[in-house]
Amino acid sequence: MPPPQQRISKDAWERRLHDVPVTKADLNRLIMDYLVIEGYKSAAEEFSQEANLTPPVDFESIESRMDIREALQRGDVEHAINRVNELNPDLLDLNHALHFKLLQQKFIEFIQQKRIPEALQFAQEELARRGEESPEFLSELERTMALLAFDATPNPPPAIAELLSPAQRMKTAGEVNAAILESLSQGKEVKLMGLLKLLCWGETLLEERAEFPKLNVLDGTFSESSRS
Amino acid sequence: MNTRPSRSSSIPIPRSASASSSARNLESLISIPLIPPGRGQPRSPSTTRPIPEPRRVSVADGSRTAASTSHGHGPPTSPIRSSARSPSVVSSVPRRSPSNTRFEPRVVRSTATDGEGECPPQSSTSPTVTRRASLASVRAAASQRPVIPHHVVARAQTTSFPRPSYLDNSSLRHMLHTEIPIAPIPSRRADPTASARNQAYANAMIVENEDDGSPAASPSIMPPLKTSFKLPTRWSDQDRHPSLNVSPEGRELMHQGQTASGDKDAASARTTHPIPPACGIFYYEVDILGKEQKSKISIGFSGKTARFAKLPGQEPHSWAYYGDDGTALSPDRTGIPFRQPFGTSDIIGCGIDFTTYKVFFTRNGVLIGQVFDNVGKDMPIFPSIGFQQSGDSVRTNFGQEPFKFDIEYHVQQQKVVVWNQIQATPLHRTILRGHPKTGLGSIASITNDMGDQPPLNEDESKTAIDQLVLSYLVHHGYAKTARSFEKQCHSLEIKDIETSTLDGDDDDVDMTNGASKADGADVDIETRKTIVNLVIAGKIDDAIDTLRICYAPVLEADKQLIWFKLRFRKFVELILVTTELKKQMKAIREKEKQQRKMSLVPPLPTHNHWMEDDMGMDIDEDVVGPIPMSNRPSSNRSDSSGSGREKNLSPELQEVNLRYEDALTMAITYGQSLSNDFHSDSRPELQQLFKRTFGIVAWEDPLEEMADIAGHHSRVALANEVNQAILKSQGRPARPPLETLYRHAATSITQLGLMGVGSAVFTEMPHESIH
Repeated sequence: MPPPQQRISKDAWERRLHDVPVTKADLNRLIMDYLVIEGYKSAAEEFSQEANLTPPVDFESIESRMDIREALQRGDVEHAINRVNELNPDLLDLNHALHFKLLQQKFIEFIQQKRIPEALQFAQEELARRGEESPEFLSELERTMALLAFDATPNPPPAIAELLSPAQRMKTAGEVNAAILESLSQGKEVKLMGLLKLLCWGETLLEERAEFPKLNVLDGTFSESSRS
Repeated sequence: MNTRPSRSSSIPIPRSASASSSARNLESLISIPLIPPGRGQPRSPSTTRPIPEPRRVSVADGSRTAASTSHGHGPPTSPIRSSARSPSVVSSVPRRSPSNTRFEPRVVRSTATDGEGECPPQSSTSPTVTRRASLASVRAAASQRPVIPHHVVARAQTTSFPRPSYLDNSSLRHMLHTEIPIAPIPSRRADPTASARNQAYANAMIVENEDDGSPAASPSIMPPLKTSFKLPTRWSDQDRHPSLNVSPEGRELMHQGQTASGDKDAASARTTHPIPPACGIFYYEVDILGKEQKSKISIGFSGKTARFAKLPGQEPHSWAYYGDDGTALSPDRTGIPFRQPFGTSDIIGCGIDFTTYKVFFTRNGVLIGQVFDNVGKDMPIFPSIGFQQSGDSVRTNFGQEPFKFDIEYHVQQQKVVVWNQIQATPLHRTILRGHPKTGLGSIASITNDMGDQPPLNEDESKTAIDQLVLSYLVHHGYAKTARSFEKQCHSLEIKDIETSTLDGDDDDVDMTNGASKADGADVDIETRKTIVNLVIAGKIDDAIDTLRICYAPVLEADKQLIWFKLRFRKFVELILVTTELKKQMKAIREKEKQQRKMSLVPPLPTHNHWMEDDMGMDIDEDVVGPIPMSNRPSSNRSDSSGSGREKNLSPELQEVNLRYEDALTMAITYGQSLSNDFHSDSRPELQQLFKRTFGIVAWEDPLEEMADIAGHHSRVALANEVNQAILKSQGRPARPPLETLYRHAATSITQLGLMGVGSAVFTEMPHESIH
């Protein structure tokens, strides 16, 4: 490794910043992307007016997407499945993995509500069949079924317990959201998040090679490194 | 600053960069039969490959050799010189030596062509399809033709070709050239050597001391977008073993010395230029033209220190693939058996991947594998090749022709790998470092703990993005969006995050950056938004009035910079009113003319002429001429109201005409008073703007012809400027944090690319993938 740490002054850095070719329109699109994907429907509507941007999707789809996400977050899988089918009747037929995820979540919700007999029946009627059809779901199916076994145990193994955590709901909701976005040929990853990651990645690599002003992301100010 | 929207047009640089087009200009010249017959004609293909050989014959041309020798053997300071060297040096190699017999078929054929007086037109044998295509696109350059001396043309003929398309995947592609552009970048051409150039680029903006950043030193800080890296496109005439013969265009190598005895001795060569890591991935292919069955040829990469009397792969800092036993060798580690020896008519590809610092090889278009580590990480490396057997020869494709291997696909795959790696990066807590003023409770809870903390979790990073978005919306005065965004943020927010510092009222838009109370902030955005909208709508006076009431210091700041700019704009708006009225009059006249035709009333001859003009002569004069402004319009007006001509104007036209004259008077009066006020200001930027602004009166339709001064887009730019000035007057940053973040990320990535981190050139700034 070449460790000679070279130093980039704040002035030189600022000049480079100034030369970056980016326009307000570019940034507006990043904002719109975020509002749409994260489901800020009314904000997206206002923004398309105020910033004079053509919306990339129709706003109603944002609303139903959010409705689905919220339904999943509060555990109402049935409602979510119905709304998905309303929005895009083919989606679940074409995306088996997604369908399985939703059914799995539904099973988990039965367990959450201690409706064990219904859970069992549902597993036998719906889940087991999918596991047979698509072997790649089998291990996940087994992990889920273990919930039944550990139902009465106060401290189930973490891998099992996490299925009952709110994070699992969030995860499913996120996956459904992404699948719907994909079906609308809309990017499914928030570009602003990509930008933040790019920044982290770039700063880390550059830190190994040079000293340069570091950015405080939230207020846009720079701090020169402490070494002089 | 975001007042420079036009910069975006400079983003898509692909091949239209001035450099490559100038290279193609030359190229276009050579594909046209302007060279006297017999001077340089491609020979018929020597092998089964369909591509004609470049003209070895040109070396035989005495005059050209002489011309290039006179250039001497200086370092490759310019493309002209570096390629000029080739014929002279090659011609000094004993070309008709006895060992030449192995190469005989070629030599004979070249001589034969040489003897031919008449040659088929060049266009039919244009070396590659790409060239022919580019020829068509640069026809316009034809006018330059006579200026270019023949020897220059002949050289361009052998070296110049468009940048291989797989390199377009690099975000620094605009810096990669097969030739260093001739016209631009005077400072760069002074660089003595290629290696100095490489040194310079790495150090481009590195300054040792703070004071180096002073304006005086700034010219030495190279404008990043104008740096050029020369790609390896030919074998070097200097950096080679003496017994290797380099063909004039630099793509063929033949061993013409004694066959080496044993493993120790060999003859190797490298390219004139090292590989710029800004390529991300660099790839070249070698066609084995002739190879004795058991002889050794090794193909790969070498650093500068590798000796030419050794095979690449045996010297330190060299890595190569051996034809005799099919292994990949480097002294750093034991051989890796590919078990794929190669021989005559095989095509071997070598790639260096600067994202992994590994080398990969292909054979006849099929990837063999990735080998070695840390290649090209610490030092520049060159394509390199070594021979042992006299008579063995190869022909190299540095991108002049399509590759056998689908390198483009390979590069795209690698790009995806890189992007996935980046997206798997956790968000470090340090990006929120040193957050001094804790505006929001939720953010404070994130930023209070620094150091070796776990990466930001999903909620935390979402909160950070929310805040960036909100501050952006507030900055630009998107008040309604900001309000509904914030409302929704709260309703979506998971309630276990403390939001206690926020006022309960959902309608408040919280100002970041330690702004005042939320209520005041809300009003502030509204006012700013109002002013911005007034400017965008062209209601400059209203904007100035509002500014005076709410943000008086803004008008006075910077010696009334913004105020002047607004008033210039006001003048433009007044002129636009007059042109609009002028258009109306023209339309009415057209209409009346039509009506007259319809009613078969022949128009009076005197007026006929008059009406074809869009307006009366004297009125035009008012607009353009240097006539005393204050008197003229009024006199004109009295003219038109009283004179006999007036009776020919329809009432409608008269009315518009009156309005036009009023508008003109107003514009001119305004312009005069502005000019008086402005007189004493000597700022060049403003003077320039002043001149341009007043220049618009010369145009019939400023909206079309002076769009950068008069168009809607310039209103938007001014509105932005006003917005920033207001923010600045309040001690707030002129850029929203999101924009700074974007610029910072882009700058870091570019800098990494310049420092040789291949992965960095395979990243795209996010907005590039939108729409």
